[in-house]
Amino acid sequence: MTHEFLAVYPAKLLEYSLAVGYLLCFVGFWKYVQGGRPAEARAEVHEPVRQGVSEWFTIPEGFYLHPGHSWARVSPDGLVTVGIDDFAHKLVGPARVELPRAGAPVAQGEPAFALRADTRAVDMLSPVDGTVVEVNRALSDDPEKLTDTYGAGWLFRVNPPRFAANAKQLLQGASARLWESAAGEALARRLSPELGQVLADGGTPVHGIAQELEPDRWDELARSFFLT
Amino acid sequence: MTEATQAALPERSWFQDKILLGLTGKEYLKSLLNPLDVVAALLVASCGAMFVWRFGWGLGATTNLSQSTPWGLWIGFDMMCGVALAAGGFTIGATVELFGLKQYAAIERPAILTGFLGYVLAVVGLIADLGRPWNMVFVMFSNGTASVLFEIAWCVMCYTSVLFLEFTVPAFEWLGWRRIHRVAKSALLALTVLSVVFSTMHQSALGSLFLMAPGKLHPLWYSPYIFFLFFNTAVIAGISMVVVESGLSHKAFHRQFEGQHVDADALTIGLGKAGAVAMFAYFFLKLQTIVDGHAWGLLATGWGAWWLVEVLGFVLLPSLLYAWGARHRSARVVRIAGAVAVAGIVLNRLNISVIAYNWNQPNHYVPRWSELLLSAGLVAVGVVAFRWIVNRMPVLKPHPAFPQAH
Repeated sequence: MTHEFLAVYPAKLLEYSLAVGYLLCFVGFWKYVQGGRPAEARAEVHEPVRQGVSEWFTIPEGFYLHPGHSWARVSPDGLVTVGIDDFAHKLVGPARVELPRAGAPVAQGEPAFALRADTRAVDMLSPVDGTVVEVNRALSDDPEKLTDTYGAGWLFRVNPPRFAANAKQLLQGASARLWESAAGEALARRLSPELGQVLADGGTPVHGIAQELEPDRWDELARSFFLT
Repeated sequence: MTEATQAALPERSWFQDKILLGLTGKEYLKSLLNPLDVVAALLVASCGAMFVWRFGWGLGATTNLSQSTPWGLWIGFDMMCGVALAAGGFTIGATVELFGLKQYAAIERPAILTGFLGYVLAVVGLIADLGRPWNMVFVMFSNGTASVLFEIAWCVMCYTSVLFLEFTVPAFEWLGWRRIHRVAKSALLALTVLSVVFSTMHQSALGSLFLMAPGKLHPLWYSPYIFFLFFNTAVIAGISMVVVESGLSHKAFHRQFEGQHVDADALTIGLGKAGAVAMFAYFFLKLQTIVDGHAWGLLATGWGAWWLVEVLGFVLLPSLLYAWGARHRSARVVRIAGAVAVAGIVLNRLNISVIAYNWNQPNHYVPRWSELLLSAGLVAVGVVAFRWIVNRMPVLKPHPAFPQAH
């Protein structure tokens, strides 16, 4: 003989199973909807649109900027390309880059590579966490490539385990331009007349501002901007 | 145009400039002589004629409504669907003004305009059904606070007024009334809060109406949680209508988007993500109503097949299409999903208020041609009014004198 009062259990079981089933399906569905080709990947296809900052430094659209003046950009394959920004390049001038080796771990906000000029070197911070999967060998053959900071002058590529979390600590779009502009103004305040044709004349600063400004302690000046 | 050529041209009157788009009366009328405008004019005229007929001869002579079926297409489509499809006004308004997703600001004004026109036309359709519009004012002074209809009447009146006030921002820009424009613009945040409050109340209350008719509505559609389903579908309808409407606007008014740096596809894809998630949750809620109502057995009937068509074809399918489109960044697929979702909302509202309502009656209601014509005419009025306003006021493009206002 079946007990009527037990009849409620199959229905309740089904209700709760459906609710739990929904939550489980939702996790997969959410990941599916959020995944795929990131928006930044489309920017890579086109020639980056450069926005002038104080007429000095440029930041293309689609690039994430770290306050230590390195940038990150997501590729369609999910890897993140890392480089230095226009500001860093113009501040240090012609330099050799000491790159991490492939397979090395890098962490956001930790020193990951260095810019070396004459006998001194300045550490720079990694914009993202991850493992280095590729290094731009062409830079050691031709250091001139570093001039194209957002293009051929890329430094290395990283496999990022948690880029979404990293990206929250990075600047993008208007906020990146604002940050670069503030850095430009901070630098302008330290410029001296002997630097030649600069802001007051409407000119572009020479490459290697730090060495012009503080020949003996240029690396210290650079470190103050690169947060190392 | 240079200043010299401007000076050489004869000065245009305010009417010619603002209303006739700078053309003379003759030129303007000539520009309206094209097949689409003629069809629209015929629909609008027949809608007017239907109104005269209905008010002159009464519901019994002009519709298939009866004592056993007092609610027909004018309630089921004009009111139930019109109000749901106009939910984009509060959905996008809240997205931009309250949640701070300012990138959607470019589609806020068209969404508010669509919402405003949708509500006005829903009310016009309701007046056609109710009759005696001069008596409507008494709903405001009746003491029917326990009535769902009282809540709907008040909320729809208040929300239509809020949408009108929100719409005054571009209207004042068009008129060039700077001082009052500033006042209207500063009130936008408060108006958005009100729009969310009123919409939450009456969108769900439209569903609560059916709580009084558990015996009349088919058990597959009836649920004690129907008010929540109505609110959920209103949000889905709001998102989907904005996707469809912005896609159509970009085609029809592409000239207005020239020189604007708005990535419409990116906005569409963003809306697609929201639509996918909202519809996915709604699909499981629909299943839950079946479990809750012990209605599994009814799925094997003809009504069950029709329910499955609605839930699989017009809920699950657009949800998956939205998800696919968002993942693969295909605005086209998201727009197709939006169109299927809009059709799904219309089907859902018609199922509840017309098709599966009074399902067990021997004589089932089928709308008369005159009811269909009036409803189609109202849609045509909406399209014509939308185009008239968009061609004149800064809805799709910012006003040159108010560049930051859009």
